[in-house]
Amino acid sequence: MMNIINGIITNIESHEGMSLIKVRSNDVIFTAIVLDTPETSDYLKIENDVNVIFKETEVMISKDLTPNISVQNKLHCVIESIQNGVILSQINLRYDQQIIKSIITRNACEQLDLKEKDTVLALIKTNEVSLSAHD
Amino acid sequence: MIQIKAYKMLHTAEGELPLDISLTIEKGQFVSIYGNSGAGKTTILRILAGLTRAENGYIKVGNEIWDDSQKKFHLPVQKRSIGFVFQDFALFPNLTVKENLKFALSKNESDEMVAELIELMELQSLQDNKPHQLSGGQKQRVALARAIVRKPEILLLDEPLSALDDEMRFKLQDYILKIHQKYQLTTFMISHVIAEIFKLSDKVIVLEKGKIAKEGTPNSVFAGQKLSSKFQLTGEIISIAKSDILYIIQVSSGNNIIKVTALEEEAKDFKIGQKVLLASKAFNPIIQIL
Repeated sequence: MMNIINGIITNIESHEGMSLIKVRSNDVIFTAIVLDTPETSDYLKIENDVNVIFKETEVMISKDLTPNISVQNKLHCVIESIQNGVILSQINLRYDQQIIKSIITRNACEQLDLKEKDTVLALIKTNEVSLSAHD
Repeated sequence: MIQIKAYKMLHTAEGELPLDISLTIEKGQFVSIYGNSGAGKTTILRILAGLTRAENGYIKVGNEIWDDSQKKFHLPVQKRSIGFVFQDFALFPNLTVKENLKFALSKNESDEMVAELIELMELQSLQDNKPHQLSGGQKQRVALARAIVRKPEILLLDEPLSALDDEMRFKLQDYILKIHQKYQLTTFMISHVIAEIFKLSDKVIVLEKGKIAKEGTPNSVFAGQKLSSKFQLTGEIISIAKSDILYIIQVSSGNNIIKVTALEEEAKDFKIGQKVLLASKAFNPIIQIL
């Protein structure tokens, strides 16, 4: 069901209705940008439990583990399995105890020569990450 | 300030339902009432107008008591400073637009206000027409003008625009806002159109089964607080089709049909007819002028 990861808000930086939120999940810090502030939304509180949500189709894969890239959310993952379609491929990834999924084109999957057990970086842009109050 | 407390047993299609509300409104506010049919929206307006009596009710407008059931006090409808417009407000068919407006005046009032409203509501070219010569939008414009000829403190609007097409709706919304501001009215409007509520209201009251479920600014009431995504729609699944390793879910929302991709494991839990929430980040949609 989408990529949903539970975490705790560790930092909130707000300006003119927009907030940059850091969420810690185990040893990973996620960054999300939302059009809410602690004034408009009750769930935006330091130490609050939230779910970090992003769609599989928004997860990029890099074989370079230290790319010089603007994307803020970078997760070191191991490929658990790959399901190939005709046009798309689903990459099931594991980091810590979490499973996340990425949908990329099959062309991209083949160009990167992705295989099970490969270590890769999963990349998610800050503005693709939604937060939801954990209840 | 307007204080309204009302309790009344409603006899609805689904049986008896107690209407039980308590509200405080600032003078000059534009208040929308939103809710399913049968929730008691129209009854609130009728109680305010004095057309319906609450079993237990207290209404105070400024310093004036309009209803106090404990003291068995009830100010009759003709003594309340109100104007109202309903969905199908009937104008007098044998009178012209101007005569319809004049008819609403009390005996000794000057018709200065009639001339002012004809100008403000841009009815000059229609003033000598009879109602049957007017379009639906023009009729409601006249009905609005007639509702405020006597400069009421409170304007009550019961879905006045629901029979009109979108273009006419937008125009009439502008007229409503104009008279609300110019005559410093306190306006109560029943509407089921969220965009309209956002455009016009300072405050919205969501009525559910006779009770106030939520109240506040349109933003605080309608914006989803639970999920940060700002692009949210609710709808019903109308088809589920496999497409490569994904599934395409078609959702009908209002007049729109929207397609969303889902993974196979998500799609297997979906059923046609299910109500769903669609959400996307505010950063994703592209916006273009039509």
